[in-house]
Amino acid sequence: MTSLKRSVDTDPFASNLSSKVYVRSTKNGKVQKIVREVYLRQDIPCSSRLCSKCIATAPRSAAGNVSPFVLSDKPAGTKAFPQGHYLVPDTNALLNAMDLFEQGSAFFDVVILQTVLEELRNRSLPLYNRLIGLTKSQEKRFYVFFNEFRLETYVNREVDESINDRNDRAVRHAVKWYNDHLGQTKSKDVPVTVMLSDDRGNLEKAKQDKVPAIRLRDYVSGLKDAERLLDMIAESQERVASKEKKAEFLYPEYFSLSKMMTGVKSGMLHQGIFNVSPYNYLEGSIKVPAFPKPLLILGRDNINRSVDGDVVVVEVLPQDQWKEPSTKIIEEEAITKNENADNDEDAADVVTEKERRALQEQVKKTQGLTTEGRPQPTAKVVGVIKRNWRQYVGHVDPSTVSQTARQGRKQESVFLIPMDKKIPKIRIRTRQAGELLGKRILVTIDSWDREHRNPVGHFVRSLGELETKAAETEALLLEYDVQYRPFPKTVLDCLPSEGHDWKVPTSTDDPGWKDREDLRGLLICSIDPIGCQDIDDALHARPLPNGNYEVGVHIADVSHFVKPANAMDTEASIRGTTVYLVDKRIDMLPMLLGTDLCSLKPYVERYAFSVLWELSPSADIVDVRFTKSVIKSREAFSYEQAQLRIDDASQQDDLTAGMRTLLMLSKKLKQKRMDAGALSLSSPEVKVQMESETSDPIDVKTKELLDTNSLVEEFMLLANISVARKIYDAFPQTAILRRHGAPPKTNFDELANQLKVKRGLELRFDSSKALADSLDACADTSEPFFNTLVRIMATRCMMSAEYFCAGTQSYPEFRHYGLASEIYTHFTSPIRRYADLVAHRQLAAAIDYEAMHPAVRARGRLEAVCKNINVRHRNAQLAGRASVAYYVGQSLKGRVAEEDAFVMRIFSNGFVVLVPPLRHRGPHPPARPRRPGARERLRRRELHPAPLRRLRRAVELFQKVRVRIRDVKDEATGKRGAKMELVAPAA
Amino acid sequence: MPLDTSTYDLALLRVDGRRWNELRRLHAQIRTQAAADGSSYLEMGNTKVMCVITGPSEDAGKRRGLAASAATAPGGSSAADVAVSIVVGGVQFCGSEEEGQGRQLQPPSVGARSSFRLFKVERIQELQATIAKALAANLHVHLYPRSTIGISLHVLSQDGSLLAALINAATLALVDAGVPMTDYLVACTAGSTSTHSAGDEGADPLVDLNTQEEQELPFLTLGTLGATDKVAVLVCETRVQVSRLEGMMASAADACKGVRNFLDQVVREKGHKMVTEGAVEKGASMAMDIDI
Repeated sequence: MTSLKRSVDTDPFASNLSSKVYVRSTKNGKVQKIVREVYLRQDIPCSSRLCSKCIATAPRSAAGNVSPFVLSDKPAGTKAFPQGHYLVPDTNALLNAMDLFEQGSAFFDVVILQTVLEELRNRSLPLYNRLIGLTKSQEKRFYVFFNEFRLETYVNREVDESINDRNDRAVRHAVKWYNDHLGQTKSKDVPVTVMLSDDRGNLEKAKQDKVPAIRLRDYVSGLKDAERLLDMIAESQERVASKEKKAEFLYPEYFSLSKMMTGVKSGMLHQGIFNVSPYNYLEGSIKVPAFPKPLLILGRDNINRSVDGDVVVVEVLPQDQWKEPSTKIIEEEAITKNENADNDEDAADVVTEKERRALQEQVKKTQGLTTEGRPQPTAKVVGVIKRNWRQYVGHVDPSTVSQTARQGRKQESVFLIPMDKKIPKIRIRTRQAGELLGKRILVTIDSWDREHRNPVGHFVRSLGELETKAAETEALLLEYDVQYRPFPKTVLDCLPSEGHDWKVPTSTDDPGWKDREDLRGLLICSIDPIGCQDIDDALHARPLPNGNYEVGVHIADVSHFVKPANAMDTEASIRGTTVYLVDKRIDMLPMLLGTDLCSLKPYVERYAFSVLWELSPSADIVDVRFTKSVIKSREAFSYEQAQLRIDDASQQDDLTAGMRTLLMLSKKLKQKRMDAGALSLSSPEVKVQMESETSDPIDVKTKELLDTNSLVEEFMLLANISVARKIYDAFPQTAILRRHGAPPKTNFDELANQLKVKRGLELRFDSSKALADSLDACADTSEPFFNTLVRIMATRCMMSAEYFCAGTQSYPEFRHYGLASEIYTHFTSPIRRYADLVAHRQLAAAIDYEAMHPAVRARGRLEAVCKNINVRHRNAQLAGRASVAYYVGQSLKGRVAEEDAFVMRIFSNGFVVLVPPLRHRGPHPPARPRRPGARERLRRRELHPAPLRRLRRAVELFQKVRVRIRDVKDEATGKRGAKMELVAPAA
Repeated sequence: MPLDTSTYDLALLRVDGRRWNELRRLHAQIRTQAAADGSSYLEMGNTKVMCVITGPSEDAGKRRGLAASAATAPGGSSAADVAVSIVVGGVQFCGSEEEGQGRQLQPPSVGARSSFRLFKVERIQELQATIAKALAANLHVHLYPRSTIGISLHVLSQDGSLLAALINAATLALVDAGVPMTDYLVACTAGSTSTHSAGDEGADPLVDLNTQEEQELPFLTLGTLGATDKVAVLVCETRVQVSRLEGMMASAADACKGVRNFLDQVVREKGHKMVTEGAVEKGASMAMDIDI
């Protein structure tokens, strides 16, 4: 008989083989055992430049490359470790103070252990990703040491040892090994390898084992700049030690996860994203699949520690607690102005008297008024599935800073007032309160426990003085999550090595010319705003012998320079879009490409992607084709120049003739579009909000749009639509398209109702055509602005357009409501939008120019790209608007003005007005680079909280009123804002 | 849970601590079932398979109906059929289609997450056909006219590279059964360190993947003839860039050589043991090659 059993000692690998056993439960509740092999080895290097032993056995990649050793041979020292030190943080240290590790001034030469990395990944994926990002940075010198795979540092879990204890032991063991290992080198000043921890138990055990270890806080105290750095350690860990006294709970407890899950499954509870009303910080709403209208969440108790954007689970309240949406404007600063950050724990109840009164009044009101507005279902938050906390920008509330702290170094709690009104005040503990006053600062939220009224966070970084350009701009960029750092070297390495000297190869045999059409002979020109540098598009038109016209739109061939999946492409896909602020442009692609090599500048040859139509004289498409090409633009016009040239009858050259043809055709195209029901939202403000879907900007000084604006716009729309059809034909699953959903009918109910009651006008909204027509009819001859007002309000009822992957929607859903087109995409601005770049690649594959790169073909990946660029696009718009608002606000400083305004919304204690263009107000903001992200003519809505019971009856919706606008800085909170006062209801 | 395959770049270490070109621990035995004509047991890491050979026996006509996936070598019925059946978790996938149609069977797995992936009957049939065809071309089946070589493979536990392990085990068992063959038919998997859509040009090839790697990365199974680079089996079911394919195939071929040396060593040790224990007469032709 032979036995299958093998004896362990005959196996040469036995000592180096271990296995990990996990037990996990599967989705259907079964328990499953997982066994994984672990191969232990001795050739994992320590990666210290001091070490000569490890370099000999350093691993090589398949290509034979050895990765260079990371840890410096002369690491920085501190008082405690004068000979220099390598840091080994444990998991808690990273969890609590990742911001510290990202500092540029300290924390170099850090060894991240595999044990720690694995634990961190289980605890927090975002932190894990940040850490991985750190290990890739060259300056920081972070090294990941795979201690679990090295024979000497591998630790077996002992009987009765918890997994955490085992991991802590593994960390200590690895630190010990590092010290022993480096001790063998011949160098005189061997750096100490120090464990950084926050866990008291772990530190004590390290002391027993004589492993160098230090508390994170003690270590940071020994650094220069300690005060600033100390503030960045998360708040949570402090409390564990210091405050285990009786905890008084202010908020109801959350349900357990399993309870929430079963509740959601059975339909008793509902899950959704929590949104805070912009007018009232105590009112939130949540859209859940089970109800057509959002559920209301009123009051602190019911909101129960959720922050705008969190994914929460709610329970619907009994019907007798249903209410109308608030009719009141409630701002947090006004109500909680005098709260003291330090006294937080003493507060007996979560809802202060004032807050209660504010809410109470409202309840009374709703009960009296049941005929007019039906009460809506309300709900309370019972748990949070996922926090959506990010870093917040704000400023310290000066009233919460004590006098002593302004000079001293005492640690105290202060409130931070976030820029975003929807975010509650954040309590932070700091020793540098005095210095932080009057600064824009960046903080994160660490936690929000039941015993705290406000969330607790910590200081990350100061951006600079309040109301200085640099600080406010950076604050804006951070708040809207715009990537504004300079392009890293890896990205710049992807640029052509010739730099600005790059030229289209003269020889047509060059590979760059492969399958390109030579269109250099065509009379092509570009029309853009004055001073435009990144010229995306150029046009031409010429008559054909058969009486038709050949029209071409030529788009910068960005995909020639940005190859899929390289560093530059990855960066661009993250940025998603170029962001235009008043005084700054944050590019999606490096300058060299955007303003030079890709830009279709006049008089030079450039690569382009051309769409060529044959159009009949009535602007019907006879034929369309797409080709990569080489063009030479004859002239770069501004809109005005182009208009002048067209109007100048003495100009009879072919180029001008071509432009006149284009203009003639564009008018016909526009008419067709209007007939099909495209919405014309004539006011520029609305145009931006609606996003006119063209690449042409509205010049800031143009009061009326010139014909040439719409000329460019029409052909860009035509190109986008033609391309959308083509790529959808070729790739019905993966084509990247853009849709604009029809707005739900209920959105218009209120507006239509009000129009009817107040003005006797009818708003029809069954189709985009009907809406367009009835909007035209909504005019008041005595008040030209009335029409614009209605359009603005109608626009607010609409959905926003979005990018999507063709396979995710059915064909009827592709429709672009605003443009009344069945299918649409973005193709014409690849320099500033990533979606266009993807469309370029897909089109290139569709015409068999090049094979489609897998990254552009994988649907999952494309969906992720769409999701990202939708967010980025929205953020870019918001950032642009906020930037204009800031500049106009600055120009208003210290002035008082009286203005006509229109009432947009009425609350019981105030109303919202729209002040038409503040154009003549003060100096213009400096000329912006290009493409105003938001209108110059600012829409200002401000509140009017003055007690005006007497006047209230006199004010009604759409009414024109006269208001006095003053710029006021609230001395208590240091917040600047425009205050409005009603002067008189204007005639 | 441990890290995933994306951390390879950090220190050129795979999820289980191996380098890119290292095989898992191999362990094999032959003649494990004294009653069978040939038998073997093989472990590649946690993938454990057993093989039992019946035949060659001269009753091809009658038995053919039972054979699950049979491959006939060129030459028609004058050569032996190779019939392969694979058993996963005690359920035999052979012949009777109505029994197994559309059913999914779970292997008795210790491999990471592998038991989530269920074994479809069609999948097993595909494996059977692949193995049968490859072996029929390698074995000297023309020496056994009108016979059948029955190969029964048992998957005891699965942790990646299953097809490769099955082929290697079958080869060993056929050596034990004394069926003449051109050379060892050995197989190994190879993958690439980044996913298809990542489009990373600097990706390293990997050999001998475990389940986790198979689930996260593109991979192929390559079978070669002994020490040569002659490819007998090539199965690739994931998407991978053409540019990476060459590197993957080259490293798989190298790994196959390693597997071949290992199998050869197992055979020689067993032979040596049989000679010393007197199971084979001294001077019998079989002993000639041993100890050379």
